[in-house]
Amino acid sequence: MDIETWKSQLRKGAADLAILAMLDTGLHSGLSIVDGLANLPKIGLSAGSVYPLLSRLERDGRIAGTWEKPKNGGRSLKMYTLTQTGRTSLTEMKQEWQAFRDQLSQLVGETA
Amino acid sequence: MSKNKQIDSYMARLQRAMAGVRDMDRADIMAEIRAHLDTRADQGRLDEAITELGSPEACASAFLDELRLQAAFSDGGPAKTLSTLIAMASRRTLAATGLFVSGIFFLLAIGFVITALAEIVSPEMAGLWINDGHDSFSVVIGVMDDKGAVRSGEILGRWLIPVAMALAVLSLILGQKIGRVFLKMLMQKKPTIV
Repeated sequence: MDIETWKSQLRKGAADLAILAMLDTGLHSGLSIVDGLANLPKIGLSAGSVYPLLSRLERDGRIAGTWEKPKNGGRSLKMYTLTQTGRTSLTEMKQEWQAFRDQLSQLVGETA
Repeated sequence: MSKNKQIDSYMARLQRAMAGVRDMDRADIMAEIRAHLDTRADQGRLDEAITELGSPEACASAFLDELRLQAAFSDGGPAKTLSTLIAMASRRTLAATGLFVSGIFFLLAIGFVITALAEIVSPEMAGLWINDGHDSFSVVIGVMDDKGAVRSGEILGRWLIPVAMALAVLSLILGQKIGRVFLKMLMQKKPTIV
């Protein structure tokens, strides 16, 4: 397996967690999520990935989206927030992620 | 090409690529992509945004598989189950496997219906034969072309019609149930990340 395939698999596993964790910080549009993730290139989520993920998470009932027009005018944007199911899912995923990261760090060593 | 025309052209291709998706889902997705492109155009970053989203066809395909799967799973019917597996079989091994396994049962269902019809149209050729020879035992149900060899061992007579139809329904239900198991496994797999 080449490194790009491995990186892609890592990203697939982390994509839901990354989006849910961003929404845990407050109300976001798809655009603001894409902008936020642009500063985190290792997460590897671009607009082409973010919108299908938001669509799936919304259909799963883990996030809820509503169209809102900004108070200062401008274009309407679909704003997303975590649902209770999403919040529970995020808590479980974070616990699993932290345990996974800790144990893997024991194996490969911390370099940061 | 002006920015608006560029966006209109992208959205027209996206709409075509998303044909078959429920109107409500498609309208919502298209509105969100449009808002994304319009905002980026205002920021002078339209070309970058289009590059990020990929071609309209690639952008649509990221949504399509999951929407198709969900629609097929909600519908629950054999036609939708089969058509979804066919649509995804060329790209997903799991879908191809599901199509092969459930397809066997769907073909069996068709075979049993043909057998029942043959019993009505040409009863001398259709039947259920049990051959209990000295060193072999076989059960055959269906249509046989060898008129001379058949009627003697045929055991169902006109009862073949309800028996074949019941077997057709059973095969159809099994094919549908197996297809849904594969649809569920496909839904549990994560989508492709660009």
